[in-house]
Amino acid sequence: MKRLANCFALLLVGALVLCGCKGGSQQETGNTFKIGVITSLTGQAAAFGQAHKNGYTVAVNDLNAKGGVMGKKIELVYYDDQSRPDQAVQGVNKLVDQDHVPIILGAYSSENTRAIVPAVDQKQVPLLMPTATADNVIQTGSPWAFRICAGSGAYATTTIDFLKAMNAPKTMAVIYENTNFGQANGQAMEKAAKENGFDVVDTEAYQASSPDYKALLQRVKARNPAVIYFASYLLDASTLMRQSAQVNLNPQFYTSAGTGFAAAEFPTKDKGAGPYAEYTFSVSQWLPSAQWKGSKEFDAAFFKLTGAHPAYHAMEAYVTLLTAVAAINQANSAQPAAIRDALKNINLPDTPFGPIHFDLHGQNPHPVLITQVLDGQYKVVYPPAAAEAKPVIPTPPWNKRQGL
Amino acid sequence: MDVYAALQAVINGLLTGALYALVGMGLALIFGVMRIVNFAHGAFMMLGMYATYVLFTRSNISPYLLFIVAGVVLFGIGYAIYFALLRPIHGQSDFMQILLTLGIGLIATDGVLLIFGADYHQINIPLLGENFHLGSHISVNAPWVVSFGIAVVLAVALYLFVMRTMIGRAARAIAQNRYAAPLMGINVFRVQAISFAIGIAAAGMAGGLLLPVFYIYPQVGDQFTLKAFVMVVLGGMESIVGAALAGLVLGVVESLTSLYWGNEWALAVDFVIFLLVLSLKPSGIFGSQKA
Repeated sequence: MKRLANCFALLLVGALVLCGCKGGSQQETGNTFKIGVITSLTGQAAAFGQAHKNGYTVAVNDLNAKGGVMGKKIELVYYDDQSRPDQAVQGVNKLVDQDHVPIILGAYSSENTRAIVPAVDQKQVPLLMPTATADNVIQTGSPWAFRICAGSGAYATTTIDFLKAMNAPKTMAVIYENTNFGQANGQAMEKAAKENGFDVVDTEAYQASSPDYKALLQRVKARNPAVIYFASYLLDASTLMRQSAQVNLNPQFYTSAGTGFAAAEFPTKDKGAGPYAEYTFSVSQWLPSAQWKGSKEFDAAFFKLTGAHPAYHAMEAYVTLLTAVAAINQANSAQPAAIRDALKNINLPDTPFGPIHFDLHGQNPHPVLITQVLDGQYKVVYPPAAAEAKPVIPTPPWNKRQGL
Repeated sequence: MDVYAALQAVINGLLTGALYALVGMGLALIFGVMRIVNFAHGAFMMLGMYATYVLFTRSNISPYLLFIVAGVVLFGIGYAIYFALLRPIHGQSDFMQILLTLGIGLIATDGVLLIFGADYHQINIPLLGENFHLGSHISVNAPWVVSFGIAVVLAVALYLFVMRTMIGRAARAIAQNRYAAPLMGINVFRVQAISFAIGIAAAGMAGGLLLPVFYIYPQVGDQFTLKAFVMVVLGGMESIVGAALAGLVLGVVESLTSLYWGNEWALAVDFVIFLLVLSLKPSGIFGSQKA
């Protein structure tokens, strides 16, 4: 028995020594520069994880063609969080302890991103967030967290500004999926709406995998709001719009916190709501038609890679890697702390996603647009300076629509 | 909230509930005849959805015919799985069976993930845009009604199969006393194999019927496994009629919960019912109510 115990002890020591040898040195000695990525390649949010991956792939190709980073080729080490927060946290441990990445990009959803902030804080590795819109991901006080995209607060206030500019009647229903993304955006909208004199007549939370939202939509219909604000992922967004037609729910404005309502797939017939997506408004962070330099080039490269046009999620992934590499170059170091300090001071005035720099909380102040689905395309309708089309209001009732 | 809203919610609940019922009946049949809690039930439903989806995209035949093919495919898979995997552990502890069916479910889910990817798919049939109006207040979506009608026919057929056919009687005999049944000349393995295959085919066909109004991804079945457990417990463990009624009840309860309390409570209410029934029925999930 004792011998057995000794054997185990020996094995343990051996394992520790092996680990110790591996630690730290890999990044300097390897032929590639490893950057960690956590996203949802499988599970509920896989459509967005795939958009991330395609965006990152375009960025890696671009950057490596220009010589990579610190004289090495960039290698992205992916960790698939399966759309689950516990897996995302494991991803931080794996990427830092085994792959020794000095910076992590991710995750996709607000739920998973919020879950990994304490983990990167503990591991002392900078985290660059491409797409998590819940504002609580950046309000933890962690000095390691930086966010590229605009958040739930900006989504809500921009939507309210738009509604006021359109003279919308001030009754609203807020409908959100019941995880961090939906909750944060739902609450941000309730707050912004009340502050601006809107009467929030109904607030509905729902489980995003349900096949049947008709009862929920009936509840909303009974309260008769002029405006509906959705915070939804893609599968639920499609189902909600189809079933809105089934229960004949006719608000004057279908507005939304982007995401599902802004996904490239949403207006398509095969993968989204098809004709039921028509006339819905959404906040947006970027479109292929954006004025920023490099937008069209990204759109073309993305189209070449995937055969489809990108939505803003892919662009956010692209520009997140761009920013990470700029920070590493600026730090000229593979040390997490040096990269973190470089991120704090980074100033990229001219990216395809607009100017990028981080405020004291690690937030990039990014402007928000409002789009409307018109003839199956997202068209910017607000703010007026960026508008490509005039918004169609009020939304035509379902029984007056063609081609459903 | 007027009376029409409640009526509409009840109708919607019944439409969903009929599909639940089909899933639950399959699980109850398997549990009754084999004393196996099939943790892969939702995964088989998912396979039924994918089978229907693949056939639909290749042939463009209506999914309302193709679900039958999916049922046949699932029957074959169930029959094969019974003899290859379940029969060898016949009579072993419940743990073995739980782990085995869990494993089968994982392999099915991950296999589909490997072949089709994590991406979700949906189909578009013209029927999707059709709504029937009953008066000016109630409207129902056509594909749900068609699925409901077919599910009811299938449920009745399943009931008649269990009550009237020779194999059905044998299955019930095994459910009543699986030690006495072979003494009466019943080929237990064969009857169990057929029952297992039929139970799985029922789940698969329910999947096929759900496809037009839902979307598919590899993990889509998981939530239905849990719901099927609730139904079987609610319906009195091995009674397929009980499971069918429980499916309808569950559909209506979910719908009314959504209407009056909000959608976020629907699942919670499901499982509160589950826990209440479990704790008020001391026989529990592995016990026999008929001692």
